[in-house]
Amino acid sequence: MADYDVIIIGAGLGGLTTGALAAKEGFKTLVLEQSDIIGGCCSTFEAGGYKFDVGASIVEVIQPLERLFEMLGGKMSDYVELIPCDPIYSFITDDGQRFSIPTDIDETTELVKRIAPEDVEGWHRFCEKGLSMIEESMDAIMLSPMSTFGEAMKVVARNPKMVKMAPTFVRTHQGVIRSFYKNPVMLQSAAFQSYFAGAPPELGSGVFGYIALSEHLGIYYPKGGMIGIPNGIARAGENFGMEIKTEQKVEKLLIENGTAFGVRLEDGSAITSKLVVSNLNAQVTYLKLVGPANLPNWAVKGITSYENSMPCPMIYVGLDKKPELEAHHTIVTSSIEAMNDVWNNYYKKGIIPQTAMSLVCWPTEADPSLAPEGKHILNFLCNAPAPYAPIGDNWDRLKGWYKEAAIKELETHVLPDVRDHIEYIEVSTPLDFERRLLHPEGGIYGLFSDMTTLAMFRPRARSKAVKNLYLTGSSTHLGGGVPTTVASGIVTSKFISKDHG
Amino acid sequence: MKNLKKVVAVLVLAGAIAGWFQASESTRRYLKHIGKQVPYLPYRYFI
Repeated sequence: MADYDVIIIGAGLGGLTTGALAAKEGFKTLVLEQSDIIGGCCSTFEAGGYKFDVGASIVEVIQPLERLFEMLGGKMSDYVELIPCDPIYSFITDDGQRFSIPTDIDETTELVKRIAPEDVEGWHRFCEKGLSMIEESMDAIMLSPMSTFGEAMKVVARNPKMVKMAPTFVRTHQGVIRSFYKNPVMLQSAAFQSYFAGAPPELGSGVFGYIALSEHLGIYYPKGGMIGIPNGIARAGENFGMEIKTEQKVEKLLIENGTAFGVRLEDGSAITSKLVVSNLNAQVTYLKLVGPANLPNWAVKGITSYENSMPCPMIYVGLDKKPELEAHHTIVTSSIEAMNDVWNNYYKKGIIPQTAMSLVCWPTEADPSLAPEGKHILNFLCNAPAPYAPIGDNWDRLKGWYKEAAIKELETHVLPDVRDHIEYIEVSTPLDFERRLLHPEGGIYGLFSDMTTLAMFRPRARSKAVKNLYLTGSSTHLGGGVPTTVASGIVTSKFISKDHG
Repeated sequence: MKNLKKVVAVLVLAGAIAGWFQASESTRRYLKHIGKQVPYLPYRYFI
């Protein structure tokens, strides 16, 4: 008799979601987390009296979260307190303009009239097309299995209006936004979001071109830091008996005759189960935990064909002074051409760019309790993306240099005397992310996302190569992000319920 | 019929070549990137 019905490897959002829903279905469920905190990339740690978010800095498109807590028999507000953030962003453009984008669409229209009058008509078309697409298709795309051609066709049959979206899947992010805007500033304001899915505007899928619009449905910050979301899901799951054990690193999957039946931990102990769910990167799952010897050749060829998503060095700053910012997120942006150039001529060539897109997150604007009274936190992405393996060097050696570059960037854009007000500063490099999150090459969005790695071309939630193995999280459809990984957990739980319920 | 097929094939090829030379550098990079990924799609479909 197995020790558990379900073992989940990794307490990221996908793993916790699948675990909580499995526990609700009556499965005896154990979640194993290698770190000392849950949440993976959507987590918060304490250092120097401050609470810093590991990676994810905001949640938007909250419908999957609401759906999850409904499925667990409650309401989201019973478990997670979300603080609305308005304006959505503050921008510093390459020509020195500074403006903020409000959540309200009518207020944004007034802003567009002011900064880009030639694009008012395009903005209206963007809203009309994008909002109807989001309304008609979001549930279908995010919460339905799309692992096979048949499943995808079923989704389309149930939602015939999705046919209109087909061109969006084969277009690029920049192709979509250029069909609405001409003004360089408007293009910049909608282009950088392609990097939120881990790709430059010229390669990212057109589907993500509408992120800039979905943000107008509201962006939120969880009270107590991003860990508020995984903590809420964990509490809901624990109500149904889900167990979570931290600092338990899984070394191997137990497999016999092509069927998973448990895990072996780093300390050599084994825990058996009827089925296993991996919330780890799919390449780590298949190539390390399963092992090529347990996989057919086509599976090895398939899983090794994926590139990892980009890494993002992160700088955590504790300040004894309020920064001169207007919004939760401030973006130092550049033209679409420059965004693509950073990818092609720096990132892909192993060169750390000296000037590129930067993102300053100011979480204490939403929740002052994250820092000691009167003090503030900045989570800073400086000149992103940066390569995992800089030519002729490595991130452990570059840490000090990178920290200094980040301070100079903050001096330029945020606070001229920031150096005098830093109480705490630490850099999490791609190597640190790799060690902390077990993401190969520090890639924070799982596998690289483009039209050849979405839906049925992304690793399946129900493994075809290993029986009773399921996957969830950013390596599965629809990729990295808070709502998408929660949605992936819901989809994976549907497979488990169907196969074993 | 056979000649017609040849003509269509030549026209498609000519169109593709003309399209390639008219495309921007960015579009060419996109097409190259996708072209490199396509051979893996059958394997990715099943993983």
